Amino acid sequence: MSLAPAIRMNGLAFFILPSALLFALFFFLPIGLMAVMSLLTGNPVVAPNVAFTTRHYARIADDPYYFEVIWTTIRIGLWTTLAALAIGYPLAHWMARIKSRAGHALLLMAVLAPMLTGIVVRTFAWMALLSDKGVINQTLQSLGLVSQPLKLMYNETGIVIGLVHIYVPFMVLTLTGVIGRIDERLEQAAENLGASPLRTFLEVTLPLSLPGILAGSLLVFALAISAYVTPILLGGFQIMTLPILIYQQISANFNIGFAAALGMVLLLVSFVLVVAYNHVLGRVSGQRDLQ
Amino acid sequence: MTKPSGPTLPRLSRRRFLAAGASLGVGVIAAPYVASADEPTLRITGWGGKWGDIMKAEVGPAFEKEFKCKLQTDTALPFLPKLQASSRSAPIYDVLHTNSNEQWAAVEMGLVEPKIDAKLVPHLADVYPYALSDKIVGVSIFTSAIGLGMRTDKGYSGVSSWKELWDAKYNGVRGGYVIPVNSLGQAFLMMCGTLFGKGQTDLDAAYAALEKLKPIKLVDFTGAMEKMFLSGEVGLGVIHDSGIYRYDGQNQPIDFVTPSEGVLSLEQVLTITPGSKLKELANAYVNYMLSAPVQKKLAETVWYSPANKMVKLDDKYDAKLLTTPEKVSKLVQVDWKWYNAHKDDIDSRVNRIFRA
Repeated sequence: MSLAPAIRMNGLAFFILPSALLFALFFFLPIGLMAVMSLLTGNPVVAPNVAFTTRHYARIADDPYYFEVIWTTIRIGLWTTLAALAIGYPLAHWMARIKSRAGHALLLMAVLAPMLTGIVVRTFAWMALLSDKGVINQTLQSLGLVSQPLKLMYNETGIVIGLVHIYVPFMVLTLTGVIGRIDERLEQAAENLGASPLRTFLEVTLPLSLPGILAGSLLVFALAISAYVTPILLGGFQIMTLPILIYQQISANFNIGFAAALGMVLLLVSFVLVVAYNHVLGRVSGQRDLQ
Repeated sequence: MTKPSGPTLPRLSRRRFLAAGASLGVGVIAAPYVASADEPTLRITGWGGKWGDIMKAEVGPAFEKEFKCKLQTDTALPFLPKLQASSRSAPIYDVLHTNSNEQWAAVEMGLVEPKIDAKLVPHLADVYPYALSDKIVGVSIFTSAIGLGMRTDKGYSGVSSWKELWDAKYNGVRGGYVIPVNSLGQAFLMMCGTLFGKGQTDLDAAYAALEKLKPIKLVDFTGAMEKMFLSGEVGLGVIHDSGIYRYDGQNQPIDFVTPSEGVLSLEQVLTITPGSKLKELANAYVNYMLSAPVQKKLAETVWYSPANKMVKLDDKYDAKLLTTPEKVSKLVQVDWKWYNAHKDDIDSRVNRIFRA
C-alpha cells in the first residue's frame, strides 16, 4: 500500500499551519508554562533547588480575600456584560434592519469610531468627566444641583461605565451579524397572525438572536474580567480585580508563582464560562455536537 | 536574423535570488551592530520624563564619549521582574537604577551585588553617610524628601505636621500612594508606625492610622499625584519634594511642606549585577553619576538632592534641596530589608483597608 496519499498534505493545511503555530507558540506554550510555574517554588531556569508545591493555590484557598477579589472581578464582568447588551442590542437591531445603505454605514462608523482611540486615552477621558473635579460634578455643582461631588469614580460604577464604553462595539458587531441573518418573513408572519410587535420580538426575534447574545456576552465578559487599565484608573486602585492583583504580584512582590496561580484561576473562570456557553448554545440551537 | 552576440549575464535562478535577498537583509539588519562591534554596550535602567531627557541629550552621550562605549537604557517599568527572568550569568542589565525597596528585594534574590567597591568608585568618598548607610544596597546617587504636598489656594496654610493629613477637613481632597506598588506609599506606612505607635515597625499602629485616613485618593506613581494636585483633585497629600519643585516658576498653586517629624528618604540607588561582563565599565558609570558636574546637572534639572556633598548648586536649588549635613540629618531612612520580609502580609492588609 502506498503511503503517498496519507502523507500528502491537504492544501488547506498550509493555511491552517501559521495559525496553529501561532496558537501553539503564543497560547498553549505560555499557558503550559504558567501552569507549571504555579506549581513551583521558584523559576527553575535561574534558581537552584526548585521544588513542586501547592502552596500558591493553598494561599488562595485559605484567604477569603482572594475569593472576594474573584467575585469582584466576576461581578464587574457581569454588570459590564448586562449594560453592554442593554445598550448594544437595540443598536445592533437597528443596524441589522436599516434599509438605507448610507444609514448603515453611518451607524457602523458611529459604533467603530470609539475603537479608533486607545483604551488609555478613552479611560483618561472618562476620568476627566467622572472625577470629583470633573466636568459632570463641576457642572452639577455650579448649577446648584448637588453640594458635594457625586461618587462617579473610584468605585465599581466608574469601572463599569468605562468598560461598557469600550466593549459595546464588540457586542454590537457580534449581534448585528446574527440579527441580520434572521429571516424577516418570520417576524412578518407572526404579526400577520395577530402578534403585537412586542410579542413578535419576544417570541421570534429574541430567541433567534440568542446565539448572538451569547457570543457577544461571552466576548464582552471575557474582555471585562481580564481588563487592567480601566479598572485601575477608574477604580482609583481601591477596587481589586484579578488582573490588578496578578500585575501587583509580578511587578511589586516578584512572586511569579503566586501570580501564575492567580492567572490559572482567571483562566479557569473563563474556561468554565466557555463550557457553559457551548452547552447553552448547543441546547438553544439544537447543535448537539457543541455540548 | 542572427541573435546579437555579447557578454551574457548569469541566469538569476529563484534560489540565487532568495539567497541574495536574504544576504542583503541580514547585512542591513546587522550593519549597525557590526559598525559598533568594537564598542561595549552598558545596559542600564533609568527613568523617563525630564530625567530621561537630560540623560539622553547630555549626560549619556558625554559618558559614551569619555568611555568609548554605548549606553542602552531601559526606561520601561517594572525592571526587577525582567532582571529576575534573565540569566544570572548574562543579566539583562549591568547597572540597576531603581529605588531602595526594590534594590533590597534584588539583593535578597541575588540579582545585584550588595555593595559598591570604594576602590573602583573613588567618588564614594564624597557622598553623605546616608548614601552608603546600612539601609542602602549599592550607593544612593540622589535622594528626594518625602513629605506633604499642598494646594496654596484653598486656605490650608499652617500645615507643619504629618498628623494634619488626618484632619477631617481634608476628606475628599486627601491623597496618598498605593502601598503595595509604590515606595512612597510603603515609606509612608512606616512613618505612620512612628507617628502613632512605637516606631517604624509598629504595624498595628500603622494599620489603625491608615484606616482613619479614609477617604483618600490613591495613585501608583508621582506623575499621577502631580496631576491630582494640579487639577485640584487632591489638596493635601503625600509626595516627594521633586514632584512639587519641578513646577517652580510655572505659577502653580502648590507647595511642599517639610513636616516637623522629619521627611522620609526616597533614594535613587545604583547597583551592579553579579553576572555583568562589563564590571569595570559599570563601576565607571557609577563613579561618573556621582561626579560633581553630573550631580549638579541632574539635580538642577529634576530637583533631586545630590548625594555628593562637594556639589555646589545654584542658590535657587540650594535653598530648597538637601545640600548640607544639617538638612540631610532630617532624612528618615526606612529599613527596607525588614519591610520586604513582611511585604506580603502588609500588602494583604492594606489591600483590605483601602478597598472601596
